[in-house]
Amino acid sequence: MASSPKTSSPKTSASKTSASTTSAPTSSATTSSASSFRQRPWVRWGAPLLLVAGLAVLPLVMTEGANDTLARIGVFAVAVLGLNVVMGYTGQVSLGQIFFLGLGAYVTAYGVQSGWNIVLVFVLTCLIPAVAGLVVALAAARLGGLAIAMVTIALPIVGVPLAKRLSDFTGGSQGLSARFVEAPEGSGLYDDQWQLYLVLVIGGIVFLMTSLLVRGKYGRAFAIVKGNENVASSMGISPYRYKVLAFTIASLIGGVSGFLYMVVVQYTSPETMSFGHSIELLVAMVIGGAGSIVGSLLGGAFYVIVPDVTNAIDPSLTALLQGALLLAVLFVLPGGLVSLPRALMRRLRRSPAGRGSAAPPTTPSSTPGSGTAAEQSETERQGHA
Amino acid sequence: MGKFVQLVVDGLSTGSVYAALALAIVLVHQATGLINFAQGGMAVLSAYAVWWLTNRGLPLVAAILVAIVLSVVFGALVERWLMRRFERGDPDTAVVVTIGLLTLITGFAGWLWTYNNQQFPSLFPLDTVSFLGVSVSVRSLGTTAVIVVAMLLLQGLFVGTKLGLALRAVAINPQSAAFCGLPVGRLLMVGWGLAAALGAVAAVLVAPQLTLTPGMLDNALVYALAAVILGGLTSPIGVVIAAWIIGILENLAAVYVPFIGFDLKVAVPFILIFVVLIVRPQGLFGRKTVVRV
Amino acid sequence: MNRHSRSRKALGIAVASALAVTVTGCGNREDAGRSGDAAEGAPSPGITDDSVTLGITTPLSGATAGPGTCTVAGVTAYFGMKNAEGGIEFGDGQTRTVEIEALDDTYDPQQAAANYDQLKDEVFAMTAGLGTPTNRAWRDAAIADEVPQVLIMTGDPLFSDTEESPWQLGFVPIYQNEGEAFGELLASSSGNHRVAILSQNDDFGAGYVEGFKSAIEGADNIEIVDELTYEATDTSVDAQITELANSDADVFFNAMSVTPLVISSLQKAQQLGWTPNWFLPSNTSSPTAILEPGGAAAFPGIYSVSFSKAPQSPAFAQDEDVQTYLAALPQYGNYPDPPAFPHCQWSWMVGATLEQVFMEMEEPTRDSFMEALRGIEGFEAPLMLPDTSVSTTEDGQPAVSTVVVQKYNGRGYDTVESFE
Repeated sequence: MASSPKTSSPKTSASKTSASTTSAPTSSATTSSASSFRQRPWVRWGAPLLLVAGLAVLPLVMTEGANDTLARIGVFAVAVLGLNVVMGYTGQVSLGQIFFLGLGAYVTAYGVQSGWNIVLVFVLTCLIPAVAGLVVALAAARLGGLAIAMVTIALPIVGVPLAKRLSDFTGGSQGLSARFVEAPEGSGLYDDQWQLYLVLVIGGIVFLMTSLLVRGKYGRAFAIVKGNENVASSMGISPYRYKVLAFTIASLIGGVSGFLYMVVVQYTSPETMSFGHSIELLVAMVIGGAGSIVGSLLGGAFYVIVPDVTNAIDPSLTALLQGALLLAVLFVLPGGLVSLPRALMRRLRRSPAGRGSAAPPTTPSSTPGSGTAAEQSETERQGHA
Repeated sequence: MGKFVQLVVDGLSTGSVYAALALAIVLVHQATGLINFAQGGMAVLSAYAVWWLTNRGLPLVAAILVAIVLSVVFGALVERWLMRRFERGDPDTAVVVTIGLLTLITGFAGWLWTYNNQQFPSLFPLDTVSFLGVSVSVRSLGTTAVIVVAMLLLQGLFVGTKLGLALRAVAINPQSAAFCGLPVGRLLMVGWGLAAALGAVAAVLVAPQLTLTPGMLDNALVYALAAVILGGLTSPIGVVIAAWIIGILENLAAVYVPFIGFDLKVAVPFILIFVVLIVRPQGLFGRKTVVRV
Repeated sequence: MNRHSRSRKALGIAVASALAVTVTGCGNREDAGRSGDAAEGAPSPGITDDSVTLGITTPLSGATAGPGTCTVAGVTAYFGMKNAEGGIEFGDGQTRTVEIEALDDTYDPQQAAANYDQLKDEVFAMTAGLGTPTNRAWRDAAIADEVPQVLIMTGDPLFSDTEESPWQLGFVPIYQNEGEAFGELLASSSGNHRVAILSQNDDFGAGYVEGFKSAIEGADNIEIVDELTYEATDTSVDAQITELANSDADVFFNAMSVTPLVISSLQKAQQLGWTPNWFLPSNTSSPTAILEPGGAAAFPGIYSVSFSKAPQSPAFAQDEDVQTYLAALPQYGNYPDPPAFPHCQWSWMVGATLEQVFMEMEEPTRDSFMEALRGIEGFEAPLMLPDTSVSTTEDGQPAVSTVVVQKYNGRGYDTVESFE
């Protein structure tokens, strides 16, 4: 992970640990002072603890509406995180992530309605989408670029009529309701607080495990596959195997988000997995910041909060406002919301020199998985198409 | 037998609807290397322009010509003032920008002209021609004819003209194209403008059948994308043929394969894509491009 | 370092738990704005001495925004007109104006549930929203919170089952009723009929077909010769029409809710030379928006069911109800165009029905509201056709359960008693 100076990788700057474990001298004074600040033991232990403590307290102090909103953000943040694993980190365009959320939601609803043990239901909610994802990936990962996008588009497109046809399991177009997350007796919690705790705990574990995954050996392999598959092959990394792995993990995470969807929304129907929502997840991923853990959170927040905000402004203009907002954000921050601090920093540093552009630099770099990965994958995509 | 042939003819006319949009998508892709999700939305906007002008008393053909000119300008402006900022960056971001543009345009059309279905005047009479026991509407024939002409023009543009060559050069490698002295920016604007014009034609052809709404082409978009991938991104002829194949196979599968039926017929194009791409990754008619490591 | 951090961790946990305990105390005392704990007889949320607020979640953008916009426009126009007249005198003696708070759910169940969460503490009752999944998504929550979800625009029978849905009531006839009405008419005809069916692949289409089949069960003169479905997202149903035309049926039962598809079906059948008697549901049988562009005059009979007057029909041009309605819609309903979907009329009737409920409601509470709502019988709301009315007393039926079968006369509709 020896990065050359001036490399603006979304990964390195977004990840605190990798910045602090890098022994090589970092590019600018600001970053190095920041990383030494992060290296202090009380910061390294205290900050996450403070975060956990804060999150533990949060559901108790917020209003019901805020709890609901935060829980929904958690649901879609997990879904976006899954998409990030396959797309942001591994570079495979997937337009079918919502299918796995829908599948997970159906498995949960069906299991709950059949009176199965909730732990078993949760395990199945992870396993079934993961297996489905594995099967799709075994076939789809042979294709590259836009072709894989087309195969994944098919998932929600075919999934909706399929869900209607399998009405014995799915309730057809009337959908399935499942209220199974009343706060336990004696906990003194309201339902919305309990739901938010479930989302925070399950979602938190998924986020933690995913961030460990993408920062470890597998994450590096994903980045190399994303950068250039031929290079990966020459390094002994099988692009096929890692693409299948990434897709399967993304599907599993999608399934978990489906479970959380049922915790929060408590109802699912074919509309849950409609193609439009899959596109919205893709939008959320890019708006938050592709290939970024924090970006997934921000993307989930964008997915949930923007419709509420536009509704508050004028319910008859939601589409217009959402489109305008999306374009405005990307125009200012092409790297997504997660690049805001960096963009601000750059603006501050540059303004004395009279250059106010906030565009991300596209300095060539030899490091796989850095800023040039996107460009390489562009040629890659054209090549396969 | 009569039913079979009729289903094939029906499939051809449905396929022509997909083909119309698919051609515009191919044009932008050839010129910029991007898939433009907003292509349908921009086309719908052009159709609204035609509708608005005819409601103001302009003859249909004149309204279409005016709308095509407006579309060229609009397409070029979108490239210059919106897409240019994202062309060198992450292609995923650029695609999401086109999705945002689609949302914006749909919302704008809904705000200005409501989400109600508007009747759209047809270029062709609502007559039917019968031969061999098969009936075809003049509208389908006309639509198909216009699309074949557009397809041939586009194929000629890409293969036989300097402009087409320059457009492709810009898409494949903008830096090298610039070194060769090509006006990259202007060429991109031309590509987007032409695609928008083609989209306008497509929308005018299908609007009488689908009735004009802000989301008129949303459902067709997925099929158009399927046709683009199946036909191969580099070949207008291939894309149109792929759209027809999709339209026909879908109908036949729905009627003659009970397991698929009318609800799951949408799976047919995707199964087809999958099978074809395993054998020919560049699509049915696409050219293979070599990737440098 | 290790010990160090452990002790810090312990400290952190202690601090956090202390914080948590303190905050839980506060939270419980203040209730953090939770609903459902109001004392007996106290006014429910969303109602004061001079106004009451109603909530709507409905699609205002996306594919179903056309009818969705109507569901808001009608009721908003109705109460806008009443507010301009000074408000409505409620059963408790107070005169109140009625405000509408509508949110867009884009036909997404998740967003509908979120909209409900947002509205439930601000509004007195939820009403008029369009869609089966979008209403089902928060049905359980509305029951748990005891928030009325009434006079909604779905023909899903679940909402009219008092046992299952104590805080709900549908407005429009359940889909089965509409299919059944036409089936009964057909079964009572003297001739033999071969029927082809094309239905939307969801609860809408299935409900129509179920009602139709139950009505013709046992009728010897009716034979169903072919039955197909389509998806609401399809761009064309030409193949289905081709196959059905091949069956040579003389009656076509077409349970279709997508406007352009109905128009192109009418055109396609004519191209194929197939001109059966044609049945269309109440929401896709508009003479001006669908039948005229589809060239419906070519068919021997276009039948539909209805309970509301068609405002554009020349037969009602002088009708007082229709004139009031058409004047109020642009003025108070923010709907400048002529009503494009019958949902506009239905929503207007919802307004009139709610007014009846308000006048009967003795306390400003949701309980009292539901009680008054369930006691309406034979109310002829404005725009209703003769022989139809709003009745909420029969369990298992929505507010409107009677429909009349109508036949297209080239410009509008006439009520018919027998087939042909």
